[in-house]
Amino acid sequence: MDKRHPSSFQQLEKLGEGTYATVFKGRNGSTGQFVALKEIHLDSEEGTPSTAIREISLMKELKHENIVSLYDVIHTENKLMLVFEYMDKDLKKYMDSYQAPGGGPRGALEANTIKSFMWQLLRGIAFCHENRVLHRDLKPQNLLINTQGQLKLADFGLARAFGIPVNTFSNEVVTLWYRAPDVLLGSRTYNTSIDIWSAGCIMAEMFTGRPLFPGTTNEDQLQKIFRLMGTPSERSWPGISSFPEYKTTWPVYATQELRAILPQMDGLGLQLLGQMLQMRPEMRCSAQQALNHPWFAELNQRSQQQAAAQGQFAPVQGMVAGQQRAY
Amino acid sequence: MAIITGLSHLANPLATAVQLETSSSHLDGIPKDLEDWVRFESSKLLQAAGILLRLPQELIAQSIIILCRYWIGADGGSMLDHDPKDAAAAALYMTAKPSPHPVSVRQVFVVFSYLTSRSGFDYKMANEGDVTNWHISGVDYEAARSRLYAIEAHILQVLGLATHVALPFTLCINYLQTLDVFKASRREGEAVAKLAFQHLNTALLSPQLLYLTHQPTALATAAIYLAAREVKVKLPETSWWEVFDVDREELGFLAVAMRSVEGFAREERLKWEGRRVPMTIEGLREEIERRRTREVGGAR
Repeated sequence: MDKRHPSSFQQLEKLGEGTYATVFKGRNGSTGQFVALKEIHLDSEEGTPSTAIREISLMKELKHENIVSLYDVIHTENKLMLVFEYMDKDLKKYMDSYQAPGGGPRGALEANTIKSFMWQLLRGIAFCHENRVLHRDLKPQNLLINTQGQLKLADFGLARAFGIPVNTFSNEVVTLWYRAPDVLLGSRTYNTSIDIWSAGCIMAEMFTGRPLFPGTTNEDQLQKIFRLMGTPSERSWPGISSFPEYKTTWPVYATQELRAILPQMDGLGLQLLGQMLQMRPEMRCSAQQALNHPWFAELNQRSQQQAAAQGQFAPVQGMVAGQQRAY
Repeated sequence: MAIITGLSHLANPLATAVQLETSSSHLDGIPKDLEDWVRFESSKLLQAAGILLRLPQELIAQSIIILCRYWIGADGGSMLDHDPKDAAAAALYMTAKPSPHPVSVRQVFVVFSYLTSRSGFDYKMANEGDVTNWHISGVDYEAARSRLYAIEAHILQVLGLATHVALPFTLCINYLQTLDVFKASRREGEAVAKLAFQHLNTALLSPQLLYLTHQPTALATAAIYLAAREVKVKLPETSWWEVFDVDREELGFLAVAMRSVEGFAREERLKWEGRRVPMTIEGLREEIERRRTREVGGAR
């Protein structure tokens, strides 16, 4: 990467402020192309933030149409600036500003849009997982949407490459609402399945316009999950009592039907959601399995036809699952 | 460094011939052999510091490789830019930070001041060392910390923020399993694995910068080749290394290079005769000056 001077990008309005960076809209001085400029604060307590080091080293490897592209890194004496592809809004803002033409609750999206967004989200996740990267912080604010209806994963500050075995990861990850129960229970050996749980929560939220499990604390988050999924026991989840956060005092809730709280979802969609929102991590489907679900049949078929028309090799769905990398 | 595509998490960007020929330190007037000794000493220091900080070997290896990458090429960092011991500390701190085993600046300093406190250190100091009685004063700490952050930023800049390092350790175990070494005899298999790891760790200290010039696949293969011969474990009679994309020539070179590190270490003892390899800019300047006057004296 070349060390261009930051002034070759014109800085426009502020798009957002994160914990370790401020994001501006920018324009490439020579091409006129819009970009997102992520300015890293270097005056922190730890020198160059670890989140930035992690994000850059991972983004350099992850090139996919459903992952936001890192174009350039500009490193000057006292500033570090990441130049990303420009996207119009994040999914949170997209939902907040959306009112379905046929009525319905504000923020709830239409079935076709949801299916397309979920398909793209899972494709992005599958690519990360194939490249042995966990995102660990999937939430609507980290999914970016452009005017063409493309969805891309962003903000890999918490992401981490996983080797084998995956252990001793910090359990302070993933925004509470989208955090998997095994992480909430204090598991430090989590894996790719934590991203699938988050994807399931996001899917439900797109249908209703409201977060599925808006917990306030770790304990409250668990209880909100139990109220829908049922309180787990040694019987339903062998080994649960050995988790650090396991409590014998949990109120016992019965398992609810997803259909009851998501009446607007079709049968196949509910089935897929059920496979993603499994309490036990080993029972959750993989991103690739989710993509192969019949709910996506039409999208998969269309993408294959498109690929074939462009003369590309389109792998037969189902074979892809067998192509996992041997890492 | 060359751009790599596909399977990049298993491969490393390799140093180019030009980068290996010209270093920033050399351009600043540090003789080639002195540069090698400083690198050797820094790598040993990192290894010892990593042990004291109870860091996993992968992290220690990564920090050594990052420091070596930083010091190569005309655009790289010079040993006269920052004290080599500080550059080593920054490399360790920076590598550990985004990992599952971060260490604080203070921890790094305490360990480094302990290790550089005596006239010479050995691994015994790392294995038996007690750093609990070591402290660093507030004023020293503030200054040292901002120095470390500045070096960290420079390292990141030189590396173009490419901090990923692929290592051969896991590959080595995979290859041994593929070769059925553990199946034949578990005890022998473990002996081979242990020796192979020792060769891989030794190679980190190689003056030939083996980790910057060869891919992890080749390093793992060569380490197995040597270890199997030493334990006298039979490997397939065929050219098995070709399965791991290593040709006979590369294997032969690596096997010789890995075994030569021992001689290099012995040479260090003889050459420095109890003196320390300089790990500060001031020390390096003195050493260069000492050599110059000796040369002048010799010529007279």
